[in-house]
Amino acid sequence: GRGGARGGANVILKPHRHPGIFIAEGKESLLVTKNLVPGEAVYGEKRISIDGGVEGTKVEYRVWNPFRSKLAAGVLNGVDNIGIAPGKKVLYLGAASGTSVSHVADIVGPEGTVYAVEFSLRSGRDLISMAKKRTNVIPIVEDARTPQRYRMLLSTVDVIFADVAQPDQARIISLNAEYFLKNGGFVVISIKASCIDSTVPAEAVFAREVETLRQSKIKPLEQVTLEPYERDHAMVTGVYQRHS
Amino acid sequence: MATHALFETSSGYAIFEVKLHDVVGALDKAVQASIDDFSKFNKMVSLVSFAPFQNAAHALENMNDLSENTIHPYLRDILELNLAKPKKGSSVVLAVNSALAPVLKEQMGINCSSKEVATDILRGIREHAPRLLKGLQDTDITKAQLGLGHAYSRAKLKFNVNRIDNMII
Repeated sequence: GRGGARGGANVILKPHRHPGIFIAEGKESLLVTKNLVPGEAVYGEKRISIDGGVEGTKVEYRVWNPFRSKLAAGVLNGVDNIGIAPGKKVLYLGAASGTSVSHVADIVGPEGTVYAVEFSLRSGRDLISMAKKRTNVIPIVEDARTPQRYRMLLSTVDVIFADVAQPDQARIISLNAEYFLKNGGFVVISIKASCIDSTVPAEAVFAREVETLRQSKIKPLEQVTLEPYERDHAMVTGVYQRHS
Repeated sequence: MATHALFETSSGYAIFEVKLHDVVGALDKAVQASIDDFSKFNKMVSLVSFAPFQNAAHALENMNDLSENTIHPYLRDILELNLAKPKKGSSVVLAVNSALAPVLKEQMGINCSSKEVATDILRGIREHAPRLLKGLQDTDITKAQLGLGHAYSRAKLKFNVNRIDNMII
């Protein structure tokens, strides 16, 4: 069933290696984020209330499903650093309906900000209504290829997360980095091999994308597969070096 | 070399004077480090004027125009007011977004620079905006961004003629 405090006292909460992300250990281990808007689910995900430090207080967490979020899949597959943490400013390209974005909003918390860019109007509508509740999310219904059109809306960000599934995604990220990403800032990219080139093996596509990033002043740090959650996907992280 | 810079925010337009511009001739690691360091960057630019938007509707109008590279009358006034003062033997070169540069040149005769150096000056202003725009806290900036982000995005949905179902509130 939905929501509810199932598990209750039998569930133990442990902080994940990445600040702002937690593991709820009960019968099974679940990746969770602390619900920024307690009492409400965003997309029908399960919620777990766990006793807070003070007696009688409960803190609510939302289950973060790696089959529905590539960032969650990357985290479970052991990506070393995602740059996303409490208080950080994140530019999220390819925000879709905002399901994953809502977890990023939980992670950065009230002191952080998520600038969520989505071009599709259908998804943009859901994104806007999610952002009405989560006021640390700034919805931007616009084409990520044209950062100049939304330059008025952004401060400098600490991280760019991109899940745009476009053949020219490396170029899109590099354009946005030039405008908004601080020098030394983080880039986290989900690469879907078939979106870039379906005629060559996935590994070759990933290698080529990493090389393109390198030429865009983004020094690659790490690459992890998103198997078994997504097929032929990789998550690549890098650091932006404006002048090397 | 740029003598001035135009920086557009959700709260209003900011015009900066760029000082020490001859020093910022070549961009290397050292210059980048000075841009990253507020105490050094603060000596490279100084705020000439900040022109706030009057209200949310005014901000949206300006953003809509800016996203289409159109000069809003308010922006025109501010540029004329602040860049008109002629200085002996020096002419104004405005560091500005590359998409807006040709429009400003053509319609207002303002010499613009949108080369790498200009880009980095604007990057520096964005990074240090809360401290450069005195009286405008980081939280004020975010609040204005939030309001304008919602307004701009809602308008995008509203004016889409291809949508199948409607959801105009």
